Amino acid sequence: MTAILVTMGVAIVLLGVLMVGLLRSHAEILRALHRLGVDVEGGGQTHDHSFASRPSPRVASENAPPDIVGQTLHGSAVKIGVSGVEHRTLLAFLSSGCSACQVLWQDLKSDPTAGLDDRLVIVVKGPEAESPGRLRELAHPEATVVQSTPAWEEYAVPVTPYFVLVDGPTGDVIGEGSSSSWAQVRSLIVQAASDRAATAAALSAGTDPELRADIELKAAGITPGHPSLYPEGVPLEDSE
Amino acid sequence: MRLRSDGIDVDVPRGWDGEIYRQGGFGLQGLQSEEGETDAPIMHLANFSLPPNRGDWGSGAVEIMRSDNVLVALVEFGPESAGKALFARSGLPRVQASDFAPNQLQRTLPGQSGAQYFFNHGGRAFCLYVVLGSHARRHELVAEVNAVLDTLVLDPR
Repeated sequence: MTAILVTMGVAIVLLGVLMVGLLRSHAEILRALHRLGVDVEGGGQTHDHSFASRPSPRVASENAPPDIVGQTLHGSAVKIGVSGVEHRTLLAFLSSGCSACQVLWQDLKSDPTAGLDDRLVIVVKGPEAESPGRLRELAHPEATVVQSTPAWEEYAVPVTPYFVLVDGPTGDVIGEGSSSSWAQVRSLIVQAASDRAATAAALSAGTDPELRADIELKAAGITPGHPSLYPEGVPLEDSE
Repeated sequence: MRLRSDGIDVDVPRGWDGEIYRQGGFGLQGLQSEEGETDAPIMHLANFSLPPNRGDWGSGAVEIMRSDNVLVALVEFGPESAGKALFARSGLPRVQASDFAPNQLQRTLPGQSGAQYFFNHGGRAFCLYVVLGSHARRHELVAEVNAVLDTLVLDPR
């Protein structure tokens, strides 16, 4: 009889410890989702932490894409805010020499917004690589053009032309890629926004365990390439 | 990120826009300043997207400001102005909520508020002009402006 009572007591204690662990884990997940703006109790709506009538920009993380610092085509020092702002920004990395860019420059002459609702910032390499005079000929006077070689390096631009769409409030890169026409760029933006909405819906519904794992890792500061993912060193790329 | 030009050096917060250009030269998008102005530098800082078409005192930008926006314009005058009475105040000022009033705007817009400070620093003459998107929110917005001004370094002439 005593042995049964002791066994049951031990079992109850163990179950209690297990329950506490589960509750802590659940709380951690809820906190991580909350930090990412997901309302798990409100039917999938996102939180609005603002007190104004519009959502205030969230403080983008340290890993958010950097703002663009460089100079204008007339030599002024300039900085353009990209993350931590309330709108999306399309960074268009163009050059004066690339043949695929010529159509893009020409279309901008007639419409410096390229028909976009997002802020368009054209980023070209610095004066050591690109002639400001030549760029002044190509660019519409009301287009925002920044000469910044460091921005090309920071965004690891692989080809020209190249486009990066940044969500200002979160500092997330919504999409990136190359395109030879503004119509195609607009289409890609719509597609990227649609993909993002689908991902958000899957997250709020809790239907994608892989994404949930990504959220928890991101909340813990573990992003792709983090050293903790490679305890034995980063694997070498397969050589062709 | 620091923005530096013409003896003006400032840390522009993430998400802010900023530009340092010369009067009589060109603004962000190459629009020429008005005739008769000197070529002394002008700095614009804003916690919103600065539009391409704007004047030295923020016209073109203030019209699109929202209640939580601020615009900081630092306009340098010619060196002969540094000794004049208007610029007698020495050193970069810190702005106070009580300094702001809707009737101190270059262009009066509903809800907005402005303040102007003339001062000299290192033999240079400046006017600091600050526009707040909301007079009612001046206390919180002034703190944001001062946080940026604290990083501003002006080289002596």
